[in-house]
Amino acid sequence: MASMDTLSRELMLDSLRNYAKKNLTHEFLKEMDDKNEFPTEILKEMYDQSILGVHLLLIPKEYGGISGGTFDVYRVCEVLARIDLGIATGVFATFLGTDPLSVGGTDDQKEEWMTRIAKENLLVAYAATEADAGSDLVNLRTRADHVLKNGELIGYKLTGNKQWISNGAVADVYSVLAMAPGGPSWFMVEKGTEGFSPNKHEDKHGIRLSNTAGLSFDDAYIPKKNLIGNVEGHGLLQAQAVFGYTRVMVAAFGLGCGWEALEVAIKYSQQRIQGGGPLSDKQGYTHKLIVPHAVDLEAARAYIEEISERLDGGEKGLQTEGAIAKYAATESGNQTAEDAIQALGGYGYTKDFSVEKIKRDVKIACIYEGTNEVMEMTIFRGCWQEHLKTRGQHYVSMAEEMDVLHSQTPEVGANSAALALRALAAILEECRIQRLTRHQYITFKLGKLISFAELAFIFARRSSADRYTETIKFDRNVWQTMSRVYAKNAALRIAIEGLALVLGAAEKDTDLAENLNLDKIQVLQKGLISDMDLIALKLKDTFKAK
Amino acid sequence: MHIVVCVKQVPDSTEIKIDIETGTLIRAGVPSIINPYDHFALQKAIELKKAHKCKLTVISMGPPQAKSVIQLGIALGADDGILLSDRAFAGSDTWATSYVISKAIKKVGKIDIILCGMQAIDGDTAQVGPGIAQHLAMPQVTFCEDIKIDGKKIIVRKLIDGGYEIIEANSPALFTMIMPKDFEPRYPAFMDIHNSLDKPYHQWSMADIGAEEQYIGLKGSPTQVDRIYPPPAREKAEMISGGANEAVEKIVDIFEKENFLKI
Repeated sequence: MASMDTLSRELMLDSLRNYAKKNLTHEFLKEMDDKNEFPTEILKEMYDQSILGVHLLLIPKEYGGISGGTFDVYRVCEVLARIDLGIATGVFATFLGTDPLSVGGTDDQKEEWMTRIAKENLLVAYAATEADAGSDLVNLRTRADHVLKNGELIGYKLTGNKQWISNGAVADVYSVLAMAPGGPSWFMVEKGTEGFSPNKHEDKHGIRLSNTAGLSFDDAYIPKKNLIGNVEGHGLLQAQAVFGYTRVMVAAFGLGCGWEALEVAIKYSQQRIQGGGPLSDKQGYTHKLIVPHAVDLEAARAYIEEISERLDGGEKGLQTEGAIAKYAATESGNQTAEDAIQALGGYGYTKDFSVEKIKRDVKIACIYEGTNEVMEMTIFRGCWQEHLKTRGQHYVSMAEEMDVLHSQTPEVGANSAALALRALAAILEECRIQRLTRHQYITFKLGKLISFAELAFIFARRSSADRYTETIKFDRNVWQTMSRVYAKNAALRIAIEGLALVLGAAEKDTDLAENLNLDKIQVLQKGLISDMDLIALKLKDTFKAK
Repeated sequence: MHIVVCVKQVPDSTEIKIDIETGTLIRAGVPSIINPYDHFALQKAIELKKAHKCKLTVISMGPPQAKSVIQLGIALGADDGILLSDRAFAGSDTWATSYVISKAIKKVGKIDIILCGMQAIDGDTAQVGPGIAQHLAMPQVTFCEDIKIDGKKIIVRKLIDGGYEIIEANSPALFTMIMPKDFEPRYPAFMDIHNSLDKPYHQWSMADIGAEEQYIGLKGSPTQVDRIYPPPAREKAEMISGGANEAVEKIVDIFEKENFLKI
């Protein structure tokens, strides 16, 4: 659905930020993190319609919600992640939990459940994962056996166990994936159902404010009206249908955590005086620990916004694009938080500073909603198909678009993006000719290289636009410089890593090295350091320490 | 009763930085917020509206982006909102601003109470509220910490040095509000923001309110801001030690040397 107007969205984000400023101080979050405690009252208030009612964003208007679009949800997820990823996960779980209804529910089911969730401020959980079915849900073991009365189906008995369920021990309502006789199917299960019990709250490395628990089903009776869609066997398709959307949400988490950590590091670097001056003036520090992450995070932002706008425009699916967004943003967020600890030195290693918690929290974003290895595989599969369908022209066409863009807006690095895309096309083609994709390792690495190229393309395109979205904190010159730096890095990495990949697996001789335009890629590296100097200076201006 | 609250969108003063080279404020990229004093005035107005079933209109003068504070006012409980926005208003000082707002209030019609924040945190003049009252020939009470309605009377608690006064006023009257130290600003819930889009919102120009050109913008401004800059950093203070008599002698010496005092 289309997103709301910018003013309304910004007012909602302000309400969220001001709620957090008052109720979710660093001391409070640290205390809850230490105790591994789910902040029940906080989540209740966040769902309370008279205080925030954040869950209403995802409920359609006709059921008492706000019908927020993907762009709105991305922004709310980013801001929530900046506050605390555990709390964000608690909210996200409700979003996720309503997805099977949105995609597969009958009108009556949507009316019943969505209205209740909106009106009664219900917490929802999405129960799919099992001990043997994480990345691969086909191994589902939880059964939904028919219950008959006088030969007629009246309900199901659920038996099995779920693992790692967010909001597992605190939800009011659960959407549960179980193997019915007709195949995997979603069921709505209410807390307190006989035979259903949540297990203990897990003691986790991070997102300790998120309740994560296993679920046990022991012949739990569910009336047949709770089978989502009233048809068995559509569960996996229903789960996959929203991946584009849910992956954007987790991408926003990576972005939020990354920027929260980076902002702390940038401000700290201005106050920490070593070797006669602040760390913010030292290239060895900024160009390793700060600038590359700012560039990568903004590239991820550009991509997230592109996909959000496409989903809001009515496109369906976009699972591959969602995977690219999720992969890029969470990898960046995770690495940024890691380097933020380094950037703060000894202080970063203590709990008094937020960065160590952010690092512990953000790691989960590389794992849940599909591990980043699964994302690499998904990216490869989707984009490989495009390469094959177009007989190798898919990335060449994108490169041609970049050639045109470079002639109109030379500042955004579209020439480097074009080289990145052409290099990728050559690598994919060589992999096809030598059948290298039979090596699983190659396919995963190609997924990574593809994500660099896709982000370089979108970042160049969006940084050349006449108007930016309200989320961009930087002026045109800075954002375009970031795009240029990203594209230069992408081109070099794709060419060199791709070449190494092919040479490592090829059984026949190859002239790939001549087709990668390495000489042109090298020439375009010129100016990289001065671009990074500019970015470092502007980051200092934008996030000035008090 | 019809209450009007005047609100202003201001830069978030906690985010304003100083340009070290020029010594002036850097406003670019600074987030905008509702003036905190106006936020307090708005919340008091909403309390009155709920208790006495009043109509509440929120008004602001500013560029188009100031619609944000109007929408915030409506989301918090105002019945409608008016943004006064026109290029011709640019450069208006507090006198010209209060003229524009008073013209808009006249256009709104019969008003019983006008609430303003005592001052805006960017200008800190505290002049616009009294200026509006002057243009409307309306009684005014400033520095009000609280306001209640009792029948036809308006009762305010006005802050004075060392205490406060309780003042009774008849309507129509204007009150400028100063928030107490423990003021907690409320922010609207998501659904209230969503629903605010259904309430009336107007954007009025110079022509809409019948403002005369000579009284608005730079032309209509008897004062002009030359420069805003932070005060020079204070030098380290000299601490005077010793007993009272000894300290007084030392201080008198310093005053004589600095020519503050001739004995």
